[in-house]
Amino acid sequence: MEHTEVAKPETLDDLIKMLHEIFKSDNINVEEVQTLMESYESKPQEWKKFAIFDQYRYTRNLVDEGNGKFNLIILCWGEGHGSSIHDHTDSHCFMKMLQGQLKETQFEWPKSQGDMVQKSQRILLENKVAYINDSIGLHRVENASHTEGAVSLHLYSPPFQTCQTFDQRTVSRHSH
Amino acid sequence: MEIHEAAAGPGDGVLDFSHLNLNTLSVDSIREERKRDTKQLYLNHNRLASLPSSICFFSNLELLDISNNGLTAICEDIVGLRKLKTLIAKNNRLDEFSLPKEFGSMQLEVLNFSGNRFEEIPLQFVKLQRLQSLSLGGNRLKSIPAEIENLTSLELLYLGGNLITAIPPELANLPYLSYLVLCDNRIQSVPPQLTRLHSLRSLSLHNNLLTYLPREILSLVHLQELSLRGNPLVVRFVKEMTYDPPSLLELAGRTIKSRNIPYYPCDLPAHLLHYLDLASKCPNPKCAGVYFDSCVRHIKFVDFCGKYRLPLMHYLCSPECTSPCSSNPQSDAESEDESSVPADRLQRVLLG
Repeated sequence: MEHTEVAKPETLDDLIKMLHEIFKSDNINVEEVQTLMESYESKPQEWKKFAIFDQYRYTRNLVDEGNGKFNLIILCWGEGHGSSIHDHTDSHCFMKMLQGQLKETQFEWPKSQGDMVQKSQRILLENKVAYINDSIGLHRVENASHTEGAVSLHLYSPPFQTCQTFDQRTVSRHSH
Repeated sequence: MEIHEAAAGPGDGVLDFSHLNLNTLSVDSIREERKRDTKQLYLNHNRLASLPSSICFFSNLELLDISNNGLTAICEDIVGLRKLKTLIAKNNRLDEFSLPKEFGSMQLEVLNFSGNRFEEIPLQFVKLQRLQSLSLGGNRLKSIPAEIENLTSLELLYLGGNLITAIPPELANLPYLSYLVLCDNRIQSVPPQLTRLHSLRSLSLHNNLLTYLPREILSLVHLQELSLRGNPLVVRFVKEMTYDPPSLLELAGRTIKSRNIPYYPCDLPAHLLHYLDLASKCPNPKCAGVYFDSCVRHIKFVDFCGKYRLPLMHYLCSPECTSPCSSNPQSDAESEDESSVPADRLQRVLLG
C-alpha cells in the first residue's frame, strides 16, 4: 500500500495552514505533527516580526490561535535564559528550533520525598522538533549559550493556559 | 572577493557585508560619500584575520559588528571612530592583549566580546565612562577587577560561562546596574555589599558553588528574577559554631552601647571612640544587644514568596541569641516573617 506523501510546508504560512487541517480532527497523531513541523525549514524573514527578545527573561509571542484547538507561540531566549521545571497540564507540547539551540532536561514525576530525578538531557538543534506530554514527564528548557540567542516555535494542544512548576530540590509544586 | 556597494540596501545607512566568506576587506571601491553616510556596518560571519585600517574612513559609524571572524587583534584605527556606540565582536580569538592602547577613550555604550579568550577584564574596558552594557560571556575570566566600579553608567553586565571564583564588593558601587549575570562560574559566596545595588532587577547565579546567601539580599527591593539552581545550597538547618568568647574590650563596648552609657570625645582616646562606632546591632529584635568582632554565624531559612526556601547567613551576638521570630533555633521549618518577601516583589526565583 502506498503512502500519500505529506506535502512539505515551504513557508510558515503553509505550515500554519497545514496544522489547521490536521487539527480539524479531534485525534492527534503525534508523529504526523512532529514530522510536519520538522519539515518546515526555518526562514527568519518569515517569523522575525514575532521574535521580540527581552533583556531580562524569555518571551512568549502568539503566532496563531489555531481555532481554539491549539496555539502556536514563538519563544525568544536571550543568552542564559531558562524556564523552571514544568508540566504540560494534560496537553501535547511540540517545540521546534527556529534559530540557535536549546537544552532540554527531562525529569520524572516526583515521588513524595526527596530530590527530583533527572531522566535525560539533550540539545535540540535547529529545525528539530521535541515532543513532551505529562505521561512522559516534566522538563526544563534553557538557552545554555552565552553568545547566541535562541528562537523556538511551540505548539500546545489544547491551547496553553496554565502549568505547574516544580522545585528541583524539595519536590514542592506551584501553579502558574 | 571584491565588495560591491550593491550588496547593501541604498540610502539607509546600513552596509551589510556579513556571511560573504571575505578573507580581506577592501573598501576602496565604496564612494567616500557612502562611507561617511554609513551608520551600521556588518562584517560578521566572514574570515577576516584582521580589521583593516581603512575602517576609520567610516567616520560616522555608530554600530560595528565583527563577530564570527578569526580576529586575534583589533587595529589602532578603530579608536578614530569617535561616534561608535556599539561594538560587537563575539566568537573571535581576542584576549586582553588584543586591544589598542587608547581603546579606553572611545565613546562606546554597548560592548559584546562574548565567546573569546579573555582571561582578565582589560583596563581599557573599565575606562569606558559611557559604557551601559558589557558582555563577556563564554570567556576564560578568573576574576572581576575592583576597578569595575569605574563603569558608573553600567546597566547590564553579562559574565556567565567563565571561571570566576569571587565577586568583588566594589561591584556594588554601580548605581544603575539592573541586569547581572554570573551563572556558570565557580563562585562560592556573594558579598553582602551587593545589597546596595538598588536598581538590580535580575540576578543570575545558577550553576556556581554557593552554599548560602547573605541575609542582605532580601533588601534588593527591585529584584524580580533570581536564579540559584545548580548550586550546592544547604537544604537542612546548619548552625556553625565559630564563636570565640568575647574579649574584655568587646564586653566593655557591649555594655556601653546596650546600656546607653553616655560618653564624650573628651572621655576616651580616639581609637576607642572609633571602636565604639563599629558596633553592629544583633538582628534578633528581642535582643537589644550589639556585637563588635565576636559573633555567631548562623544560617536561617527564609521563604521567598511562600515558595522556595533560601538559606541565608546572618550574624548573632551570642549563641544564646536566637534568630528573629524563632523560639527554637534548632528548627528547620522556620519562616522568617519579618523578612519574608511579598510575591509581587520577587516574581521569579528559579531554584528548582
